[in-house]
Amino acid sequence: MAEKKFLLGNEVVGQAARAAGARAMYGYPITPASEIMHYWARETGSEAGQKDGLVFQQAEDEIGASFMLLGGVLAGTRAFTATAGPGHVLMQDAFSMAEAMRLPVVAYVMQRGGPSTSTVIYSQQEVTLACFGGNGNGFRVVYSPSSLQELFDYGIKSFNTAWKWRFPTFMLGDGYSAKMMGEVEVYSPAERGIEMVPTEPYLLGERQLTDLSKVMPSPEIEVRSSNGVEYVCLRNCLNLEEETLAVNTEIKTAWDQMAVEATEHELYGQDHAQTVIVAHGLVAAAARSAIDLSGDTHGGTSLFRPITLNPFPVQALRRAVEQAERIVVAESAYNQLGRLVKDALYGHSSVPIVEFFRPSFSILPDDLNDLLVGHQVS
Amino acid sequence: MSGTYNIIVSGEGGQGVLSIAEIIAYAAWLQGRKAVCVPYFSTEKRGGVSTAFAQIGDQPLSFPKFRHANLWVALSQRAVDRISPYLCEDTTVIVNSHLVKDLSSIKSYSPHAIDATALATEQLKKPRTFNMIILGAMLKFVPDITEEGFVAALDKQFVAQYERDPELRELNRQALDLGYSLLSS
Amino acid sequence: MFGLKKKKTEEYRSPFPKCVRLDSKPHSFCGGCGHPEVLKAFGFAVDELELQPRVVFGVDIGCSLLSWNFFNLNSVETHHGRTVPVMAGLRRANPRAIAVAYVGDGGAYAIGAGHLLNSAIRNDNILTIVVNNGLYAMTGGQESPTTHPGWKVTTAPYGADEYYIRAPEIIRNVNPTAFVARGITSRQPELRTLMREALQHVVDGKGFAFLEVLSQCPLNWKTMGDPKETFRRLEQEHAKVFPTGRY
Repeated sequence: MAEKKFLLGNEVVGQAARAAGARAMYGYPITPASEIMHYWARETGSEAGQKDGLVFQQAEDEIGASFMLLGGVLAGTRAFTATAGPGHVLMQDAFSMAEAMRLPVVAYVMQRGGPSTSTVIYSQQEVTLACFGGNGNGFRVVYSPSSLQELFDYGIKSFNTAWKWRFPTFMLGDGYSAKMMGEVEVYSPAERGIEMVPTEPYLLGERQLTDLSKVMPSPEIEVRSSNGVEYVCLRNCLNLEEETLAVNTEIKTAWDQMAVEATEHELYGQDHAQTVIVAHGLVAAAARSAIDLSGDTHGGTSLFRPITLNPFPVQALRRAVEQAERIVVAESAYNQLGRLVKDALYGHSSVPIVEFFRPSFSILPDDLNDLLVGHQVS
Repeated sequence: MSGTYNIIVSGEGGQGVLSIAEIIAYAAWLQGRKAVCVPYFSTEKRGGVSTAFAQIGDQPLSFPKFRHANLWVALSQRAVDRISPYLCEDTTVIVNSHLVKDLSSIKSYSPHAIDATALATEQLKKPRTFNMIILGAMLKFVPDITEEGFVAALDKQFVAQYERDPELRELNRQALDLGYSLLSS
Repeated sequence: MFGLKKKKTEEYRSPFPKCVRLDSKPHSFCGGCGHPEVLKAFGFAVDELELQPRVVFGVDIGCSLLSWNFFNLNSVETHHGRTVPVMAGLRRANPRAIAVAYVGDGGAYAIGAGHLLNSAIRNDNILTIVVNNGLYAMTGGQESPTTHPGWKVTTAPYGADEYYIRAPEIIRNVNPTAFVARGITSRQPELRTLMREALQHVVDGKGFAFLEVLSQCPLNWKTMGDPKETFRRLEQEHAKVFPTGRY
């Protein structure tokens, strides 16, 4: 069943969700993510889709789509949405509720220009929004794949991370990865020994498989039995400071446990290089190429690529820059990755940071290579 | 960018710019190369300039855009200005001279001017196959890609259209051959 | 008192629906509030149709949230104005669910208007109950889309303007087959009937069911301690602007 195909990035994402056994998508049209929704709409109406009971609903706006998504998740369905830019902004209302109640929503975000409507093309400017949007403390898992293949791999993994650890989980693509066509190996998780974490309903479950207070902050839950049936009441409105402290503390405790296992990063290039580039997504891919080009120039270069932007691989970064003489943070945004890097290194490293910020603008391997061999790129 | 063959195509929306880039990338991939293509797009789905990038290489490809094109194709006058930043001294330039009449800004690149629209109308009686003629001409320059590989890619790309109109397959083949034979490497 | 023998709780013929959650009583609504009347009618209808294990009871942010644990029903409190889409999404994922959105006039007709209207247009198979007291009660009596012309409220202290929304007519306009009705807290038997029919509409898979219930808010109507005036306002003024009946 594993097959190498030549596919559009958004199709890769759609196929990943399908391969992962997702059953419901709630969405709203927005460039450059709409093809994910079109794919799902076609799948839902196909023979196989009907047999699998797929659900698709286009909502009246992104707020509607994201709250419908909460409903699907509360029903215990492996459900997702896809959005970008202004739509991503609108979804923060629902994502805040998901964050407070640790609901395992999955959202594929194909970053575009910003702020506001901007271009539909590309950026890496939705990092802060994905990691820290809403009125919480930023307890959402955020993946940043750097190739079409990783769009597929992490498109599947997002569901497992979400349902195993019960946190809203985002995969950040961008307009280029969404709209580019290239080679991907598609497979079913079983073929790779990947077991899909089973979902279970929060409401109307026949029987509760998990004690809900293990996966949701306890002040938000009230369960009572009546005539042998359990009735679950869930809330997110609290009355006392003690209650909200408890909610936030419980979220943090669960987060720390998850972070130990789920945090991911990649190191590329030589050990103990003088220059460490920190980049994510397609910019990291460009950095890999630049490193291949520049070779051993100027004491060598390596790439530190956070794969989970949240939880950020703090310890790994500190180790990776221990012997560096300079750190280059390269991103298509102003300081959104930079902020995470500085937060991780404060008090642990005095290696100077060179900021290579190109907000909403592509960063090519040549651009990074020029920087590495000492030419200024304006 | 060493190691990859970079192709940029631009024209008016609806001229098949994206298809050209897709077909080339797809054909290259079918023949075992690494290939990516990406459109450069805006909110105007209709009525704007359309540009597409394709890269072919042997190493896994990272960023789908590039700085300098090895092969540069403009199908309309507006497109010339839009993609002129991607020219460098050894870029191969092809234009559809039916719409690209003013070559002054690209003279130094020895452009191959093909009136693909006229050829398509006169010789094939189907003006819309002009982009296949251009594609055939481009084929001349893309390294390590065979004409057979191209035809296979076309067959896959246009499966639905060929079912509706079987004549189209032959027509496309003719257009491709015509374009291929027009230019010397 | 008077020598009556004290009965055990279960020996009383319950004034409450069976699906009510006893340990969340006494409820947190203000004395004289209309919500308990609406909830009672709803609860009895759930009992009658034996839907207790299938209902998902969604509440909004506003006074309706005080009923988040009112019943032994699977319940969830959503964000303000977002109860309808959560219920719609849940029902799509679980077609056995009897999804009910229990909201106020602010949540339904202002912030949630887009969701409500489109849910009706899609004929989503859910029941929306809107408790209409003509203002935002929980947050301090602000103007809502159903505030009467001339009423003095905290964000229209010199009198609300002449425009307001009559929702059942609009819902009927966009959806010819939905169940659409308006009841009133002061007529409990009729309200129970409407609740039962609205729920049955959803149980039968017929699509969108909409029930607005005119209600009183003695606190923000400033008629606390004067039930006569409260009910005059409800049955004379409120019901005049918003006619009850089936639409």
